[in-house]
Amino acid sequence: MLQKKICMLGGFGVGKTSLVRRFVQSIFSETYLTTVGVKIDKKSVAFQDKTVDLILWDLAGEDDIGSFRVSHVRGATGLVLVVDGTRAATLAAALTLRERVEAEFGTMPFVLLFNKSDLVDRWAISDGEINGLRQLGWQIYLTSALSGEHVDDAFRQLASMVTK
Amino acid sequence: MRRLPKEVGSWIYNFFYNEHSIAYLQIDAQLCVAAKGGNVKHYGLSSLRIGQPVTDQLEFMEGLLPCPELPYHMAMVELPSGRVADLHLFADNACVWLLFLDATAERDNRQRLQQKAYEMTLLQERERQLNEKLQAMNEALRESQEGLQREYHRAETLLLNILPASIAERLKSDEQIADNHAEVSVLFADIVGFTERARSVGAVMTLAILNYFFKAADRLSDQYGCEKIKTIGDCVMVVAGLPAARSDHAEALAHYALELRNAVQHERFAGERLRLRIGIHSGPIVAGVIGKKRFAYDLWGETVNLAARIQTSAEPDEIRISDTTRKLLGPDFACDPLAETELRGTGRVQMWRLPA
Repeated sequence: MLQKKICMLGGFGVGKTSLVRRFVQSIFSETYLTTVGVKIDKKSVAFQDKTVDLILWDLAGEDDIGSFRVSHVRGATGLVLVVDGTRAATLAAALTLRERVEAEFGTMPFVLLFNKSDLVDRWAISDGEINGLRQLGWQIYLTSALSGEHVDDAFRQLASMVTK
Repeated sequence: MRRLPKEVGSWIYNFFYNEHSIAYLQIDAQLCVAAKGGNVKHYGLSSLRIGQPVTDQLEFMEGLLPCPELPYHMAMVELPSGRVADLHLFADNACVWLLFLDATAERDNRQRLQQKAYEMTLLQERERQLNEKLQAMNEALRESQEGLQREYHRAETLLLNILPASIAERLKSDEQIADNHAEVSVLFADIVGFTERARSVGAVMTLAILNYFFKAADRLSDQYGCEKIKTIGDCVMVVAGLPAARSDHAEALAHYALELRNAVQHERFAGERLRLRIGIHSGPIVAGVIGKKRFAYDLWGETVNLAARIQTSAEPDEIRISDTTRKLLGPDFACDPLAETELRGTGRVQMWRLPA
């Protein structure tokens, strides 16, 4: 059985839980419910030659990055970094979390999601900034947990990266 | 290690066991479940099979074993069963123990508090964003208002160049403009022999002549409070006594005529000075604006027609005025009488010459 632990990382209220719910159950709720601790979900991703079960660890997005429980990430093989496209400061938060995780457990594959792409008129991240990060070779997706846009693409991409 | 009395220790054990629904798994060196116990049902672990790999049966253990750093603690993990547990991993010889301590109540309490705090923070961030947006919009609005203001002034300036100020004001409020003015004086002036001269001096010089003449007419209009109504070819039409009525309209226009004649005499074109024929008549007229896009403010009535005919009958350098106009002039103007003359469509008319 091919099984991989994936951690959702990002500031609070960026949509980590909503992205997991959209990916696993294909549903979205407008109600914001903060996550405390961690929630674990599973979803199978089928490729032509294999099927991988992603064990998704939906970690609490801390207001204060310092209180992030890095211990939850032990055993993970990939990260989903989530940014709220309407709050520019959440990009720095996601990148800092990744640094902390890599300092503890070494580098691992990740995808970077700019979420809430449906909120066009509140969008706060410039195309230039996103393109700059793409030039680093990063896998970047503009997602909407509300509409489901690019959510499956992002998780499938990560699934393929962690099973290579 | 200081020992607690047996009774206290036992009470703590019972309290803790019930409060936290303690369950445990023993995991052997092959990472299989060696034993299970405690409140396994609480965590949905009843069906866990002894002797089988632990990660196949508990997905959340994926990647955690073997764990290089023991004891290891993960707080508030929500299990697929919906229970929230603090997970403790610790080693004992060849075995690893996995302890489940229920933390559902603690998690729920923390969640209630944190929910409020985060919602507040998000609201504040949103408020700040909206304020910034509002400011940017205000700024843009102010800029476009200024642009509009500039455009408005430009349009107004253009309008004032072709219409008297008070007429332009009324036109802006979409008023129909056709006014009766009982007492005005109307002047016509043209250049003697202009058509022949234009032919001989060429277009550029012709334009220079007209420009010189009309500029003088404009300048003197401002000076004497008259209105230049229009030009027709080399002829200019000027009125005094409107839009605002004035009792000295005839005198104002007489001064205007003298100055106009005087002004054009100073400049020579192709060696020749300009000579004007000027005619003035006074009486009632109708003034109004015609046209919708290209406005023209104009005057109509017999007074206008007669003024034009008097002008046509004037000699070069002569300012010829009607009897009506002369009667309106004060003693400052000693006019010379002219012989009664037949004017087309009017009959015999008594006219006067305005002296220098």
